[in-house]
Amino acid sequence: MIELETVKPFFTDKDELLDEILGRYPEYGRRSAIMPLLWEVQRAERHVSEARIEEIAEILGMHATEVKGVMSFYSTYHEQPVGEYHLQVCSTLSCSLAGADEMTDFLVEELGIVNGETDAEGRFSLQKVECLGSCGTAPVLQVNDTYFERVTRTRCVQLLQALRSGELPEPWRERGGDNVSAEKATLGGDDA
Amino acid sequence: MKVKVNDTELELAPGTSAIDAVFAAGYDVPYFCSQEYMSPIGACRMCLAKVGAPRQDRATGEWILDEETGEPKIFYFPTLMATCTTAIMEGMVIDTLSDEVRGAQNGMVEFTLINHPLDCPVCDKGGACELQDRAYEYGSGLSRFRFDKRHQEKHHALSELITLDRERCIHCKRCVRYFEEVPGDEVLDFIERGGHTYIGTLGEGLPSNFTGNITDICPVGALLDATSRFRGRNWEYDHTRTTGLDDASGSAIIVDARTGRIERIKAALNAEVNKSWIDDGTRFGHEYVDAEDRIKTPLVRKEGELVPVTWEEATGYVKAKLEGIADKELGIVLRADATLEEGVAAKALADHLQTGQLDHCPRPKASVLPEGDAARFTDLATADAIFVIGDVSEEVPAVDLRIKDALKGVSPPASLPHGVPIADLRLKERMPRKAGLLTVAAPYRVDLMRHAGRSVCYPVGGETAFLSALVKLATVEDELSEEEVAALGMPVDEGRALIERLAQAQNAVIVYGSFVLASPAARNAVIALAKAVKAKVMVMGPMANSYGLEAIGVMPSHARYSYQQMIRGGAKALILSGLDPAQDPSVAEALKDLELLVVHHHFANATTALADVVLPAKTGYEKDGTVVNLEGRYLPVRSAPVDGGQSEDFTGLVRYLGEALGVRLDGRSTRSAKRALNHLLAVDLRDLPDEGLLAKAKSRPLRRVSVKEQEAVSGNVLLVPSMVRPEFVSRNPQLRAAFGDVALCLHPDDADQMKLVGGERVRLSVDGTLRKATVRVSETVPQGIMLLPATPEQPVGLVSADLATLVKESSELEVA
Repeated sequence: MIELETVKPFFTDKDELLDEILGRYPEYGRRSAIMPLLWEVQRAERHVSEARIEEIAEILGMHATEVKGVMSFYSTYHEQPVGEYHLQVCSTLSCSLAGADEMTDFLVEELGIVNGETDAEGRFSLQKVECLGSCGTAPVLQVNDTYFERVTRTRCVQLLQALRSGELPEPWRERGGDNVSAEKATLGGDDA
Repeated sequence: MKVKVNDTELELAPGTSAIDAVFAAGYDVPYFCSQEYMSPIGACRMCLAKVGAPRQDRATGEWILDEETGEPKIFYFPTLMATCTTAIMEGMVIDTLSDEVRGAQNGMVEFTLINHPLDCPVCDKGGACELQDRAYEYGSGLSRFRFDKRHQEKHHALSELITLDRERCIHCKRCVRYFEEVPGDEVLDFIERGGHTYIGTLGEGLPSNFTGNITDICPVGALLDATSRFRGRNWEYDHTRTTGLDDASGSAIIVDARTGRIERIKAALNAEVNKSWIDDGTRFGHEYVDAEDRIKTPLVRKEGELVPVTWEEATGYVKAKLEGIADKELGIVLRADATLEEGVAAKALADHLQTGQLDHCPRPKASVLPEGDAARFTDLATADAIFVIGDVSEEVPAVDLRIKDALKGVSPPASLPHGVPIADLRLKERMPRKAGLLTVAAPYRVDLMRHAGRSVCYPVGGETAFLSALVKLATVEDELSEEEVAALGMPVDEGRALIERLAQAQNAVIVYGSFVLASPAARNAVIALAKAVKAKVMVMGPMANSYGLEAIGVMPSHARYSYQQMIRGGAKALILSGLDPAQDPSVAEALKDLELLVVHHHFANATTALADVVLPAKTGYEKDGTVVNLEGRYLPVRSAPVDGGQSEDFTGLVRYLGEALGVRLDGRSTRSAKRALNHLLAVDLRDLPDEGLLAKAKSRPLRRVSVKEQEAVSGNVLLVPSMVRPEFVSRNPQLRAAFGDVALCLHPDDADQMKLVGGERVRLSVDGTLRKATVRVSETVPQGIMLLPATPEQPVGLVSADLATLVKESSELEVA
């Protein structure tokens, strides 16, 4: 309750955004807007707090428990703030075989945090996740919404360097030219 | 449609689910997630069966035949089907007995038990557990699961009334669906997913008046009634099916008692009344029965002290005292949840003693009998326009739920050979609600308004003006005057739209309760409105048998003999059952002048302190008899084996007093009372069926009372109906913990002005009676008015409180 009173509501000055999101759904399907609203909050605040859940519930005219139920179903919504760079290491079979476990160990060592933690500066979070659907280019590391594929040790070091200096490199996509930066990526992380 | 279940062929209506076909055929299939009156979702996968149907040739439209037999060929679904979500088809074949099906059921039992703890020996559900039964019937008795079971919280208090054991939960989703589908508030939900799923809430408690029902429908021991947790095993309880006397709905309940004590109350099924749901007031409001200070023996005042005596001595004393009192000077009053039998006994006693001073209390100024076309619960649940005046969710919560049925627009299911359909395929999760058909009017914002298409807050105490304005809109072409527009509380166009909606509906129902009954003029107006728009009416009387007691005429023979007159010097001797008028100091003064005061009650109170004779009264759970609910339905009240000492109901009192007087009065026993009632009403009340009897009784009160209209138009406290009965709340600790103390609700501005904050305990003289309450501040309360729950002695209506008498209890403590 105290939090509710002191934190400014997220959607206060965002009437336009709110109208746009709510406008996507018919009146009887208003609850469909739970997902995009949660997403808006998380994009801005890197997590969705209880106060925000209650705010969304009030906007949609439902109980906060219902919003929480939807949110908790998806592991990609966070209850606690994640770091500026959310490192998600695929830990399903193909990636494991291609060295994802070693990558995790390396990241744990480098960052000083274990699976599920965020560092003290709030810069990095590390999370082992299930299949990211990129088995052909294992191992895969997803940083926020960006895929980095065939992550070798060298690439990993370079990636961390870049992230520490505050820039998110172009993604390395290796799926045969489905991406403009594919060519660059074949050169490996050398130019990163 | 013809369906074949194993070897049984039967004919069922299209739309029936396959699971109901199986049960209709007399076979059994296990299930956990389906539940009467709720949507089937196929979550538990227990009701698997091999299902197939013949197929028609698309080109010719003829049945494809089996080449060998020449019969239509049965095409089976490629996998076993969940029968609860499968609708029957013409010629469908359902197999529940083959090895394949048995194997699948066995597998599901094993799967469900993987994470289920072996708590059965200490589990409250043990012996009445669906999972236990099904595991026994359909499981192999063995587990191949050699790993650690999931460990989760075992004693999570979902609310003060419900404890959740998360390890036992099998994720059938009944409770989650219940809240969304029945009361319409999703206050409980699945959190997380997969094997980590648990049910939970965000924030504290379950904000609903109907939470206890989830403990009834939980197929395992995950959701437990906190009042009965660890109190006994199911096979030790005596299960008594009776009628709840908590409100006028006549909801069916099962009283589970053990060693003379009520341990819990569960909902019973009455398809035409409460279905299988009851409110929390009815379910958890029983603890007072076992309160330590319950009076269990008759008491007679000797040398200023009340001393225990026998019934014979007590009634002998009363008889001796009565000899000095002239006819017509004795008054007899029952509380309005007394049974018909008690009413007959009171009447017989009054007749014998030749007094017209007979009444029941609370008795609203206007008649609680519906005039015109009376609505049944079924009419309400199938209505296409509903207009509610009052706060049904507090007054008669069962009405609230039946209104929500109407919003779904699904008519009550047809009865099958095995009862209510287990899976009614017309019901869906998150059905769209037709809020537009519901209009709610009340003097303040009430809970049902959240579900209503239109809600109106008319001025406090303005029922008559509000309804008269609507009647004028419905009957006369004239424009409303400015005053009338103000009384309407909404734009005139909306008023006209409401009238139009009611008039055009095929099955319109107007529901009204104590706010309207507080004034005969308002009641006449609502009847006129109902006639004008051709709507049925449903009247919510203040107590369980208000309808019945008025119908059989437990009424004064003249207005000057009413209860209010009796206790203020109108009578020289009084027999009061279940009432405590001496809370009002001026009444207490008047009672001191009585020559005889007999109080028949469960507990010592201000009135027993003045009484010459105190007689122990049975509670509503200990009586045998009949009540009439708000539909006019005769419902049986049966006694649970509860230790009430020498308590008697009013028929017992009349029996003992009759013996002392040397007469055999009607109503000296429930049997003789039923004979008298048969004579009076031409309804045989012996062996009433569980679901009650809707009989055409004489609907006119046998004694009519002309009431002089005394509109209370001013006041600063509105006494309001409350689901939690304030007179018992101090002796119902669990209910009190959940719903809080008696609340004095007021607007934030008023609270500021009076320097009150929420949660403060205050005392205040309301209409002469000192009331204790806890302050609750709410924007929903109109400014300049305070809301306080009504009691039998202080019925619903507008009264005045002397703000000078307001004392904060906490500050007084500090001084002390």
